[in-house]
Amino acid sequence: MTDEVIEALRSAIGSDLVRSSDAELRLFAHDASNLVGEAGVVCYPRDVDDVRRVIAVCRRFGIAFVARGAGTGLAGGATPIGGAVVICTTKMNRILDVDPLARLAWVEPGVLNLDLTRHAAKFGLHFAPDPSSQQSCSIGGNVANNSGGPHCLAEGVTSAHVLACDVVLSDGSVVRLGGEEPEPPGFDLRGAFVGSEGMFGITTAICVRLTPDPRDVRTMLLDFETVRAGTDTVSSIIAAGMVPAALEMMDRLCLQAVEAFVHAGFPTDAAAALLVEVSGAASAVAADAEAIERIGRQHGARSVRVARDDNERSLLWKGRKSAFGAIARIKPNYYLHDTVVPRRHLSDVLDHVYRIAAEEDLAVLNVFHAGDGNLHPLLVFDRREPGILERVHRAGTAIVAVSVEYGGVLSGEHGIGLEKRDLMPLMFSEDDLRAQSWLREAFDPLGLANPFKVLPSPSGCGDAHAHVEGLWV
Amino acid sequence: MGSIRLESVSSGDIAACVGCGLCLPHCPTFRASGEEALSPRGRIAIMKEVNEGSLLLDREAVEFLDTCIQCRACEPACPSAVPYGRMIEGAKSDLARARKVTPRLMRWGLGALRRRFLLRASRPLLVIGQRLHLVPRRLALPRLAWRNEPRLRNIAVDPDVWIFTGCVMDVWQRETHRSVADLAARAGLSYGVPDRFGACCGALHAHAGLRETSIRWAERTMRSMPGDAPIVVDSAGCGAAMKDYGTSIDTPQARIFSNRVIDAVEWLAGLLENPDVARSLAPRSADRPTVVIQDPCHHRHVQMVHGATRRVLAGRATLVELADDGLCCGAGGAFSLAHPDLADSVRARKVDMIKSSTTNDGQIVVASANPGCSMFLAAAGLMVRHPVDIVRDSLGDPP
Repeated sequence: MTDEVIEALRSAIGSDLVRSSDAELRLFAHDASNLVGEAGVVCYPRDVDDVRRVIAVCRRFGIAFVARGAGTGLAGGATPIGGAVVICTTKMNRILDVDPLARLAWVEPGVLNLDLTRHAAKFGLHFAPDPSSQQSCSIGGNVANNSGGPHCLAEGVTSAHVLACDVVLSDGSVVRLGGEEPEPPGFDLRGAFVGSEGMFGITTAICVRLTPDPRDVRTMLLDFETVRAGTDTVSSIIAAGMVPAALEMMDRLCLQAVEAFVHAGFPTDAAAALLVEVSGAASAVAADAEAIERIGRQHGARSVRVARDDNERSLLWKGRKSAFGAIARIKPNYYLHDTVVPRRHLSDVLDHVYRIAAEEDLAVLNVFHAGDGNLHPLLVFDRREPGILERVHRAGTAIVAVSVEYGGVLSGEHGIGLEKRDLMPLMFSEDDLRAQSWLREAFDPLGLANPFKVLPSPSGCGDAHAHVEGLWV
Repeated sequence: MGSIRLESVSSGDIAACVGCGLCLPHCPTFRASGEEALSPRGRIAIMKEVNEGSLLLDREAVEFLDTCIQCRACEPACPSAVPYGRMIEGAKSDLARARKVTPRLMRWGLGALRRRFLLRASRPLLVIGQRLHLVPRRLALPRLAWRNEPRLRNIAVDPDVWIFTGCVMDVWQRETHRSVADLAARAGLSYGVPDRFGACCGALHAHAGLRETSIRWAERTMRSMPGDAPIVVDSAGCGAAMKDYGTSIDTPQARIFSNRVIDAVEWLAGLLENPDVARSLAPRSADRPTVVIQDPCHHRHVQMVHGATRRVLAGRATLVELADDGLCCGAGGAFSLAHPDLADSVRARKVDMIKSSTTNDGQIVVASANPGCSMFLAAAGLMVRHPVDIVRDSLGDPP
């Protein structure tokens, strides 16, 4: 990064908000994934005007910018390429307004997901998308990745909970996409923006829908002697016409890792366990819980445990949501996929996942949104072992290929980012990709907003492709 | 200057961090600043890069490590059980040895903690200085009363319990020691206090990276309370350090000593399980003050005895919990002296949280079981009491 650019940024937003120390540039060279890029300079805007000023400097010098929230992304979406300017929104963390009657809130992008839910709790409301990282991840990041979460099975993913976004585009204009009213006129540009992974512009204020807390909740843990018995139970629950609030599965290795952390009494000798939550009116909850227990028993559930109180419920959920972070209890590194497969093929695809890992002599841990068919196979390894990266790479690619073969997709909720960018042709034709690229250009004709992500670019940016450490697929 | 490595931080400990970021919201300096470099994940990444040789330990890198309050709230939040406290303490001792942190004035000040005479002598000077507005605000001292409580004296050669009196506590919060002694007496227990060699546990020195000094003082502290009677500690920070002697000093004697250490609130909760003691310590007054519980970090995240605070106060006060997962108040032993601006912004969040936690219009009493936190919060205008003092108050005059 040239001193001229840094100087321009300093005079634009103040020198204490512009960072170029070696330490900070190294920290911002990656998100929570394995993909390491190169940050040119880091900016901490305080408000929309700061964001506009930073983007104006980027435009003047023709430098790319990358938005970053809490840096919990798993697909390299916030990994800067080739010395891009990182625009970190964590200082923009105000909850601007909560309207409990209209059940909506305006928030800045750096507000942490769980902080909003806690803030809304006094109104009996919450923000429904609850990724496992919900205590740490920012709502701006949720918008960028159209994040999911266990409770998105019944409530829908982030897009269903975002009413409007104020967005700074790369040409410096600020636009409002969507609106507080439920059906704003015109194209649903808000819908296009949610999930655009920072490639359309940077959102500086988000209007989210708040959801009433359920009147009654029951959280159940069913455990099985085979993984297939668990996945068959999932299919039968859905086939019986129920949509539980959440329907999650953890296999043995996962149960062991999280039990060592939370001590919630997870059955560490089971092949798999299902965490099922039903919510709504008390009578419906009781009926659904009973039906789920019956279905579980039919498929050979060894035990059915019902959380007695909020403490037990939150402990079970803490276990489920800590799974990725608990990996270092097994090995220091993991490589995670996020494919989605049709529910009826869950058992077969999982068999393949275990087979592929065994063939490469790798440990694999499965923890996933079973109700959505959204798999999270984690290949766990120690990168200091010679030759291990090639094996992990091969296994990862094979898992994606199998998922797509069974009619699945590349990513459920983590985004494409850098990690799965070059797998996009597995799913999309050249025409599809070109159409997506045109949409992107309509928002960002200058190509400054988080370039080189999501869309494999055939020409012009070959250098960027070559320089990403840890990019395997 | 950049070629220094953090030799006391092991690569195995560093490898235990997968970088998931679940620690971020639990870190007070991240919360106050929103900056990755001021988060546990950021600091571990800095240690990693420094030790792998991809980052020089320059001024900024040192600053990011030095601004950790060492509250250790990230440890219980970490699903992979990264031993962060051990890592940052190791990093700070490497930095202190290289004279990159803990300036000379701070070292001199910490050295004075063992000198009871100096500490005691400083008190009247401070009291007068405060009246004359000569004490700098950055010292964050609450207004001291003219007269201190009398010192505790040994009442037994071979006591039932030792009351560890410590350094700062004994000068500025002797009232709490007297409460512990009073409760022990009501429970029919004799107590002893350490001689002048057991004047300071060495915790602040360990936090400042002065590991050798801290070990020397710890050894003196251990010798000052012989026998096998429990050692009751009414300062959460000291108690955490003393419970850790077994690991930090790592000798059989240190392990035996550590097992004898018990936090005052934990000890009191244990006493109250005995129905006879519970009867003699039953609240006499019908008053139920509204008490906001502010768990000291080393009570909640390190000793994990904060449940005892609720048990001993139940029935004596209307308890108010803070919805911030036990976030640090910013005091951090000597941290608020070394980094006053950062400490102030951490405290400002906490004070807002405390003030908005209750709709009670009267005086809010904050319960805190650590002297550093109490003084730091009191300096922001809050009324802060140790839980054992609140229990003591509920009993009326001594029988």
